[in-house]
Amino acid sequence: MTASVIEVRGVSKSFTIPSVRRDTVREHALDFFRRRTSERLRVLESVTFELRRGESLGLMGRNGSGKSTLLKIVSGIYPADAGAVQVHAPVTPILELGVGWNPDLDAVDNIELLGTVMGMTLKELRVATPEILQFAELEKFAHLELRHYSSGMAARLAYAVAFRAVRDVLILDEIFAVGDAGFKERCQARYRDLHRTGHSLLLVSHEPRTIAAFCDRALLLEGGRIVMSGAAAAVADRYLALLTEPEPAGLKTGIAPWSAAR
Amino acid sequence: MVSVATSDTTVGRAQFGGLIWTLVRTDFKTRYHGTIGGFVWALLKPLTMFLVLLTVFSYVFAGEPQYKLDLIIGLFLYEFFQESTKSGLLSIRAKGYLLTKARFPTWIVVVTSASNAVITLTLFSMVLIAFLAIAGRTPSAAAIALYASYQLEFFAIVTGFSLAASVLFMRYRDLNQVWEVVTHAGFFIAPIIYPLGILPERVHVYLYAWPPTPIILFSRSVLVDGRAASPLAHALLLAETLAILGLGAMIYRWRAPRVAEEL
Repeated sequence: MTASVIEVRGVSKSFTIPSVRRDTVREHALDFFRRRTSERLRVLESVTFELRRGESLGLMGRNGSGKSTLLKIVSGIYPADAGAVQVHAPVTPILELGVGWNPDLDAVDNIELLGTVMGMTLKELRVATPEILQFAELEKFAHLELRHYSSGMAARLAYAVAFRAVRDVLILDEIFAVGDAGFKERCQARYRDLHRTGHSLLLVSHEPRTIAAFCDRALLLEGGRIVMSGAAAAVADRYLALLTEPEPAGLKTGIAPWSAAR
Repeated sequence: MVSVATSDTTVGRAQFGGLIWTLVRTDFKTRYHGTIGGFVWALLKPLTMFLVLLTVFSYVFAGEPQYKLDLIIGLFLYEFFQESTKSGLLSIRAKGYLLTKARFPTWIVVVTSASNAVITLTLFSMVLIAFLAIAGRTPSAAAIALYASYQLEFFAIVTGFSLAASVLFMRYRDLNQVWEVVTHAGFFIAPIIYPLGILPERVHVYLYAWPPTPIILFSRSVLVDGRAASPLAHALLLAETLAILGLGAMIYRWRAPRVAEEL
């Protein structure tokens, strides 16, 4: 059995930003012969790291440094342009959970929808649904449609589902940023439980104290590259220092003809 | 060139059934959410529509009992085609909130998007067969089996179209409007309100290329007249079905990996 549950080797990712957007059949047809340019925005550049079994790994970086894109690639939601991601255990990502419910369904149906997408069976969900509602403190609103939920209530529900759905590896984007003090406390306790029981955890946060307190090790991402890897507290300190420095120019790779860019 | 390996999906084969059931159930619930009668209306819709059309057409086409049944079958089957292709085209966009949460086989979202239309078609078919039995024209078991096979092929055609259109829609955001125009025009290409025989035989081949045409004609023929199409006609329909399904799957495989980036 390998000691790593996730291996990321030389992963790069770019997005193409066209000078003029064409989103419709009509626009494509009318502008067929018109040359347009595009800009390649490189978000990640040869990122390499591993998440070891039972480890809690932090990921820090400024806004736009590529953290969310990296999490989506590791979670298999975005493809990488180059490099390799090897995943040796089931991954449960918690990404953008404040948004994206079916507003016409109540909490119970939405739990079933998100739970099955995250790999839970219907049998597991029948047992887990009351626990999920209890964790999110939403038992009283179990049959209220999500359109009537506040953003905080919706996010709490999402965290509760994902925390219950996790099998082996948990990937979290900005954990502990939701709910009141009591809910944050429960999230932190659940996180510690998962760590103690041998789950592997990849945690993104802008909060140095969170990374220092909850992670064994951390990475610092700057301009799409990993600029530091080491003890969580040291990386958190370096991140704080980085915030006082000017941002890098970015990794734009220049103007390219649209046809060559896509 | 460095190889790119992706992580496994969060949904294993064991969970496929649960995910499909949940998508179908919640789609059904969402569609009839807030309507008077809710689920009951969903079940009664095909029956009431059938009875309304039958009553109206019985007066309008009093001297042509065959025509009214042909018309009803054509209208229902075409409505299935319009409704299921429309929801298939919009399926990935509509379920985008799930696609950015976890990695799972997104083709399930596309295939299950036709579930409401399939339920309506199934209930309509049961009502139609019951009506024929009451009228003393009970179709044989073989005829019902053939009719069911045509509907399966129809579903495969819709799935092929939906796989391609759902991912292309993320790039071409007016594709649904284009498709709406095509299906409106297609209503008159398919021989729903007119018999195929009034057109010159040389144009029949073009009409048969429009997928609802052979399905509607074969379904009418086997259920109402008790006559099956020729083996060659069946072979051509199967070839057309497989071609659409195969092409749809190819386009889907080409575009789907990057579809989350376009949401």
